[in-house]
Amino acid sequence: MGRGAASSSSSSFESSSYPSVSSESSFPQLKRDLSTDLRLGLSISTSQQDTPSTPSEQLSDWPPSKPFPRKALESEENECSSSTLFVKVYMEGIQIGRKLNLLAHDGYHDLIQTLDQMFNTNILWPEMDVENSGHCHVLTYEDKEGDWLIVGDVPWEMFLPSVRRLKITRADSL
Amino acid sequence: MNYFPDEVLEHIFDFVTSQRDRNSVSQVCKPWYKIESSSRQKVFVGNCYAISPERVIERFPGLKSITLKGKPHFADFNLVPHDWGGFVHPWIDAFARNNMGLEELKLKRMVISDDSLELISRSFANFKSLVLVSCEGFSTDGLAAIASNCSFLRELDLQENDVEDHRGHWLSCFPDTCTSLVSLNFACLKGDVNLAALVRLVARSPNLRSLRLNHAVPLDILQKILMRAPHLVDLGVGSYVHDPDSETYNKLVTALRKCKSVKSLSGFLEAAPQCLPAFHLICPNLTSLNLSYAPGIHGTELRKLIRHCRKLQRLWILDCIGDEGLEVVAATCKDLQEIRVFPSDPFVGNAAVTEVGLVALSSGCPKLHSILYFCQQMTNAALITVAKNSPNFTRFRLCILDPTKPDAVTNQPLDEGFGAIVQSCKGLRRLSMSGLLTDQVFLYIGMYAEQLEMISIAFAGDTDKGMQYLLNGCKKLRKLEIRDCPFGNAALLMDVGKYETMRSLWMSSCNVTLGGCKSLAKKMPMLNVEIINETDQMDISADDEQKVEKMFLYRTLAGRRKDAPEFVWTL
Repeated sequence: MGRGAASSSSSSFESSSYPSVSSESSFPQLKRDLSTDLRLGLSISTSQQDTPSTPSEQLSDWPPSKPFPRKALESEENECSSSTLFVKVYMEGIQIGRKLNLLAHDGYHDLIQTLDQMFNTNILWPEMDVENSGHCHVLTYEDKEGDWLIVGDVPWEMFLPSVRRLKITRADSL
Repeated sequence: MNYFPDEVLEHIFDFVTSQRDRNSVSQVCKPWYKIESSSRQKVFVGNCYAISPERVIERFPGLKSITLKGKPHFADFNLVPHDWGGFVHPWIDAFARNNMGLEELKLKRMVISDDSLELISRSFANFKSLVLVSCEGFSTDGLAAIASNCSFLRELDLQENDVEDHRGHWLSCFPDTCTSLVSLNFACLKGDVNLAALVRLVARSPNLRSLRLNHAVPLDILQKILMRAPHLVDLGVGSYVHDPDSETYNKLVTALRKCKSVKSLSGFLEAAPQCLPAFHLICPNLTSLNLSYAPGIHGTELRKLIRHCRKLQRLWILDCIGDEGLEVVAATCKDLQEIRVFPSDPFVGNAAVTEVGLVALSSGCPKLHSILYFCQQMTNAALITVAKNSPNFTRFRLCILDPTKPDAVTNQPLDEGFGAIVQSCKGLRRLSMSGLLTDQVFLYIGMYAEQLEMISIAFAGDTDKGMQYLLNGCKKLRKLEIRDCPFGNAALLMDVGKYETMRSLWMSSCNVTLGGCKSLAKKMPMLNVEIINETDQMDISADDEQKVEKMFLYRTLAGRRKDAPEFVWTL
């Protein structure tokens, strides 16, 4: 039918572990008891057999989706489950910095708005018109090679994987 | 038309391409049968045990392209034991011995050995296309033989096969003179590949339009490949991982900018979400997107990606997209025709989808006609709404993760909901159901599902009547697969002639007994009635009253098969 989880599951059953499927000889019987139970509309209880886990978990053939290639990727998921990219942000002259999730923003404009609010300032960047020159800051970033660059020169999608941290510096100190 | 010379008839028949139509043509009269059979080049065999290879060769001597299917569909879900069958070797052997000019071979759920692959590569000088779907029994050595010997190979497409990886250099086996590749898909291979050989192969394949990589191909190689193959139409990204240095990433973005033809995207077998925006460049042109192997892509990143895909027609994703994500799909992808939402690993949050996502899709996507939907819960109201919004469904497959869950709001069975679907969707050809279902739903299906060809049922029904309504009503039924339902001998034996109009019937964990199956086998000699017995509980002299754990029957002209393993009995 499709591809997906190697082991069966249902969120309506509480469990913290998914034991491996029971041995072949007990399996057919277990299934039959389960199907009788289900047809009668009884809720699944753990007390019907001696097995510690609920019967549904032991169905290696439900839900009907192909196990391949999820087995190989199971360990991968824990690493990739977050979609955040938090970087440190410092304002020149202030020792304590903040942290910001870059992935929560759509692009530079969005980012600048957040930073303006966070640090109560106006941040200039290459595409903006300079209207009031006083009380201005510029946003810079450290890239993976350790160099400090002005934010905004490269497309957003190129910026994201290369940025290590941000710094807001005074416009007149550049 | 009998006064036309044969060549003229043959020329006219050339325009008839679908197998069903050609079958009809061949039944008009004997001369037409002869001409059609001698000129047919493409043959589809839905069950490799339904007919012998010799008979196919005899009837279609001009055969160039064949599709064969082996194991029953439920083999995908561990219901069919290993070694059940589906061995392709007798076919290859017969084609080779008879000097058939085979050019294309497509196999699904079959067992193919390295020896068979070697035989193919040496026997058919014009061999052009090998497509293996959900197959097993071979290793990268067999692929090496194909690569080495098939000088005009255009297509090597491996989809979800279980391949033994000898980490050989099969990719290096393509000779320098091989420049004909159009399609190469090795996404399912578990091992490493020779990356330099891969890049060289791509560089010398000007016709390459489809390339799907496995997880062993990293970002920098992907970039090199894209630079050499800017005309790709279908791309399967292998590994799209973690921390590329900026230069590699920048080069990739540059390469992607040049790939203006990519319409189909898949893979991301390992993916770092923060690198995904590079693909936003390609999204506006995509008609097909398959992220069902990419558990690392979900949440905001996934939604951002989808918002760029306005032309999408086909979408395969994991249920971690959530109802919210499906609402984005419904709002963005107005050309969507097919969607499949697969269950992701249960450990990853509560992001599964519900009836909300389904209704959103049917409301937002007017062209949607094919769906596979694994969900947390469903309601009759939602199904009725979907039936109203989308009368054009041809394939409707719903799987609730808890197989007997009733309507999440009313606690009623889902009979009315599915009934509405079959009544509204007059063109429905394939249906899978789940949730709490009584005999009533089968009455509806029998009454309304006139075009239904394939149906999958699990944990449904109350009495034999359920299955009887189905068999009585669905005149076009070809494949029926049932598990864990209370259907017994009365249903099985009600209309034995029906099974000769169908390809196959699977019943497991139902109430049919050995005696019932024996009776059926006796009445219908043109059927193979096979019992799969995995435990030692049953033997030939067993009590006829004993329930049969797994039964698979199919019509056949070839008699009982000779390659059945010990645990399969043909009655």
